[in-house]
Amino acid sequence: MLSAYLIHIAIIIVIYAILAVSLNVAVGYTGLLNLGHIAFFGIGAYASAILTKNDVPYTLALCASGIMASLFGWLLAKITAKLKGDYLALATLGFGFVVYAVMLNWTKLTRGPLGIPGIQKPNIFGWQITGAGSYLIFASVIALFIVLIIYRIVHSRYGKLLEAVRDDAIGAQALGKNIYHLKVQSMMISAFFAGIAGSLYAHYISYIDPSTFFLSDIIIIFTIVIVGGLASLRGSIIAAIIIIALPELLRFIDIPSSMIGPMRQMIYAVILILILMFRPRGIFGRIDLD
Amino acid sequence: MFLQLLINGLIAGSIYALISSGFSIIYTTNKFVHFAHGSTATVAAYFLYWTFSGLGIPIYITFPLTIFVAALFGFLIHLVIYLPLKKRKTSSVILLIASIGIMIFCDNLMQLLFGANVKILSIFPHGRGIEFLGAYITPIQIAILIIVLILFVGLWTFSKYSRLGKIMRAVADNPELAKTTGINSVRIQHWSFVIGSAIAGLAGILIALEHNIEPSMGTHLMIQGFTAAVIGGVTSLPGSIVGAYVLGLVENFGIWWLPSGYKSAIAFVLLLAFLLVRPQGIFGINKGARE
Repeated sequence: MLSAYLIHIAIIIVIYAILAVSLNVAVGYTGLLNLGHIAFFGIGAYASAILTKNDVPYTLALCASGIMASLFGWLLAKITAKLKGDYLALATLGFGFVVYAVMLNWTKLTRGPLGIPGIQKPNIFGWQITGAGSYLIFASVIALFIVLIIYRIVHSRYGKLLEAVRDDAIGAQALGKNIYHLKVQSMMISAFFAGIAGSLYAHYISYIDPSTFFLSDIIIIFTIVIVGGLASLRGSIIAAIIIIALPELLRFIDIPSSMIGPMRQMIYAVILILILMFRPRGIFGRIDLD
Repeated sequence: MFLQLLINGLIAGSIYALISSGFSIIYTTNKFVHFAHGSTATVAAYFLYWTFSGLGIPIYITFPLTIFVAALFGFLIHLVIYLPLKKRKTSSVILLIASIGIMIFCDNLMQLLFGANVKILSIFPHGRGIEFLGAYITPIQIAILIIVLILFVGLWTFSKYSRLGKIMRAVADNPELAKTTGINSVRIQHWSFVIGSAIAGLAGILIALEHNIEPSMGTHLMIQGFTAAVIGGVTSLPGSIVGAYVLGLVENFGIWWLPSGYKSAIAFVLLLAFLLVRPQGIFGINKGARE
């Protein structure tokens, strides 16, 4: 019983680690303050769930979820290309909300507030994943791949270009770099992996509804990224473990289960505010948010 | 039908204007997005519910008390969280993220204290509306329209003619220059939080009377209040009020074509549109607002 519970927490940690690492590409490395990352997560989850419900093979649906999210990333980057700072943050928050509203109201596609139940477990070229243990291994392998790819990207010449966009956009532009393309690409990469995380989530939980992808849940991902530190992949992964595991201690205190949800959110909010006040660079952060 | 939607739009606009005007007052002197402003109204509404329905204190005491509590709440947030952050010269983006943290904290605290279910405040019976050229309007709604109108005339006079109002506009216009003339800008920022939050407190009372109270209403209020402010021009008080009525009318006429679930999304689409095409709003002055 306890081991099943630990495996569940581990899978959630893996999924949030992917989300945090992918958000860090946009926010930490490129300096695009995206408060709508949860929308990409949701788009990926819905894309994968709807496709497999329509008998598309799982592996294809997994890729499609990333591509769908990436397309929306392109769209978001395109609309917000000229915005900076507060305005960019709020426009992306708005994007997240519009996506949520569409999930809730386009009932023909998403079944609205009823959600999509009975999402099947993944079947990869005949290997059927059933138990939570094997799902953990599967998700961890995917996560490892994603972290490796992102690690390669941010430590390459291209990654340095992204950091140049963050630190000195005009300077990079003067050297003939296309800032606009770099921003769009960064957002697309970030969105792609968030979409994959969404697919992993949907097929693990086997039931999704819009409430999982509401605005306020961005606070979990954002707290992880800020606590771990901007532009630090290691930080995001370690922070994902801490931030997801910490509120689980609430389960061992004797409180009604209806109170756990709000208390978790409050813990995240307090951690976020405290870290902004006392250690704005997080655990491993190298740069300030501005 | 048209008149009914018009009335609904004006009433929604009045309530949004109460949020957006306070938000605008805070924004102009502080220069950051205080996203937890909607939560001030939520806290006020729940305080009213607790003191009136829970403790049975009469309304002529609870109403002023609620406004006072809202003002105090805004002041304390500024003193305890924003001011230390500002002292470290943190960017406005950090303050925005902190304010989202505060908003989520408050919404969930209210849910923890009062439960997730909707609370109904039965001070005045809702009664059947008065028929007016085929449209219905309730006495509370008429009261809202009148109270809001009086408040805005008062606000306008305050900002135009009073000493504090003039100083606030000076700080909003050029904080450095204001400082050199001996204005204590921190004190002015405190005052704008007190005044803005008091207005949000009034909004909380009127919303509690007109609609129901629920924990997540602060988030929705803020989306609409903020959008209204951007439409009108965040740095312009009259602009933010006009923006609120524009939003109220667009939302209510919009659900003629769209399912009502999209109501809040309309606000965000409008917000996105304005951010892209005219970020300084209808009345704002373009001072590099996209920066």
